[in-house]
Amino acid sequence: MTVASYLFVAACLFGIGLYGLLQRRSLVAMLIALELMLAAVSINVVALTTLAGRDGALGQVVALILVGVAAAEAAIALSLFVAIHRARHTIDVEQLSELTG
Amino acid sequence: MSGPVLAAVLAQAAPLAACLTILIGLRERPRAAAGLATLSLVVALGATAYLVVVVAVPDVHWVAQTTWLPVADGPALAFGVFFDPLAATMSFVVAFITLAVMVYSLGYMAGDPGFARYFGFLALFAWAMLGLVLASNLLQVLVFWELVGLASFLLIGFWFEQSAPAAAARKAFLMTRVGDVGFLLGVLLLVRALGNATISDVVAAAGPAGVFSPRFTTTVALLLLMGVIGKSAQGPLFTWLPDAMEGPTPVSALLHSATMVAAGVFLVARLHGFFAAAPEVMRGLLWLALATALATATMAMVAEDIKRVLAYSTISQLGYMLMALAAGSVTAGFFHLTTHAGFKALLFMAAGIFIHHAHSNDMRVIATKQPRSQRAGVIGLVSGSLALAGVIPFSGYFSKEAVLATLGQHAGTAALALAYLGAGLTAYYTFRMVWLTIPVGAVGAVGAEGAVGKVHYEPSGGDRAMAASVLVLSALTLVLGYLGGWLAARLGHEGVEHGPFAFGAGPLVALALVAAGIALAWVEFGRRGAARAGFAERVPALRAFFGDNWYLDRLYGATLVRWGTALSRAARWHDHTVLDGASDGVASGTVWGGRILARVQAGYVQAYVAVAISLIAALGVWLVRRGGLQ
Repeated sequence: MTVASYLFVAACLFGIGLYGLLQRRSLVAMLIALELMLAAVSINVVALTTLAGRDGALGQVVALILVGVAAAEAAIALSLFVAIHRARHTIDVEQLSELTG
Repeated sequence: MSGPVLAAVLAQAAPLAACLTILIGLRERPRAAAGLATLSLVVALGATAYLVVVVAVPDVHWVAQTTWLPVADGPALAFGVFFDPLAATMSFVVAFITLAVMVYSLGYMAGDPGFARYFGFLALFAWAMLGLVLASNLLQVLVFWELVGLASFLLIGFWFEQSAPAAAARKAFLMTRVGDVGFLLGVLLLVRALGNATISDVVAAAGPAGVFSPRFTTTVALLLLMGVIGKSAQGPLFTWLPDAMEGPTPVSALLHSATMVAAGVFLVARLHGFFAAAPEVMRGLLWLALATALATATMAMVAEDIKRVLAYSTISQLGYMLMALAAGSVTAGFFHLTTHAGFKALLFMAAGIFIHHAHSNDMRVIATKQPRSQRAGVIGLVSGSLALAGVIPFSGYFSKEAVLATLGQHAGTAALALAYLGAGLTAYYTFRMVWLTIPVGAVGAVGAEGAVGKVHYEPSGGDRAMAASVLVLSALTLVLGYLGGWLAARLGHEGVEHGPFAFGAGPLVALALVAAGIALAWVEFGRRGAARAGFAERVPALRAFFGDNWYLDRLYGATLVRWGTALSRAARWHDHTVLDGASDGVASGTVWGGRILARVQAGYVQAYVAVAISLIAALGVWLVRRGGLQ
């Protein structure tokens, strides 16, 4: 397996995530798509550190930190969604347009 | 993995699995929770028994480690299990006492609304303690050390809806944390010096052929001892333990015998090779433990609450264990820990039977409620007290004799004489407790001001489980004393080389002092028509001084706690005014800016995302065209 194949998988994941982020109307589905994009970044980091001739552990540690960040981000986002749902009774982004100028 | 290693893992995994299952899934099913927790401890007991058999030969030990998160130029932190005769025996004691406490709790806690949660916490406690005992690395020890503290916090504050248990739990947590700071620093220093903190490496590096300078060893030993002092309730940090009596009585039985307070003593025994390389520290520990043992013995002489008497006696006996370790004998110290675990758990369980019966912790109240009707309680209290006082042939006699013999050989006459005095005081306050609780003749009712009782929730039967545990442990007080030779053959002979029945001058002196203590207690409390007030209680100043923890809590309240509170107030002001002010300013600025910028917004999140990503992509393309980011 070459580094390129990892990058290819990551690019596919990123594309799928981006499509979901733009296409889905539910906040939860958008969050899932966002997590996919984040996973793609983690794969890139791990793959590219080996390419840079560095000790692979550096990329692995960064990826581990990313996992932690992603978990924290998901927790915050989900609690925001719950709060939004309580206030607006919907998590459809098209309905949530109070910031319209 | 080989069989013994598998058994060591299983001994930890079973209580952990039970704990998680109960706390997640069985909160509403108390009977299933209790059954599962007890079953997990039976498994752990079997596994640890196997460990004891495996290491039945001296100088054998098992290690199985795996490196956690290997990084090329970082520390190689090896985690795993390590056990030798000391750790194997200790793990068996932990599993046995926890199981006995669980069986007892089936009766004592029956009907409590938090029954399932209680058993979940007990399993957590067992897991944390077994993990600590079997850990191969000091960092791992640190993790379990804190988990033991957490489990104690949860169990002491089990009735958290009342204010006293909640405050006691907080106090226990914070006071032990003071010592744990030192422990953490010590472990970090070791990791920095060695690149890891594997127990065997640490011990090897401190010896005469090791790489540590004496100064480094002394520093680290002092820091680690801070943790030990906090955990094992010694020196200035012991006042949390009497307050920890606010927890359910079986929790006290567990906390005071094989877990929590024993963790500190066990750590000193485990790292004895390391501590022995810092002889000045050990001498300091000897005197600190001796002072603690004597001071708390005086406190036990005036306490009215049966559980507080037992709590002070625990601190005092922990002092004896640490004295033996400081004087150089692992066997004597650990022997005393083992016998003490048995008889102190027994004493608390027996006290629990009386508390259940009389609905009060006050010995004078219990005495008025026909304590003799509680057969199992009487048997347990008397046999446990005989062991605690050190009456031949009960278990405490043999182990205390081993401790005193060690002191006689290595610690000098002054320390030995004071330790003898402590043994006499122990016998006195122990039998004061016995005769105050179970009076020989009839006693009148006590006034309301004499009652320090606490209202226990209405019990609902289950006396058989309680009696069974008490009777088994009572029988053990007659047996455990003969384990000394067995332990010595595995841990080394210092201190017990004369065997349990060697009558020299030493044992005779100790027995004479014990007899004198008991006789004094008989004159003051036992005989018909006794005044039922001790010599210390008749002097108001002494009574107040002893009964108030030598005013240590007041000293802390007037100094450390006040300073801490002032610091917290300042921090709160900073938080409210500076930090919140800044974030409020940012928030109102954002709202204000948003009002202006809202005019360009369409309101559709995904449209923004699309625009943002297109711009980023365009930026990326432009940067690559330009030739990188230089």
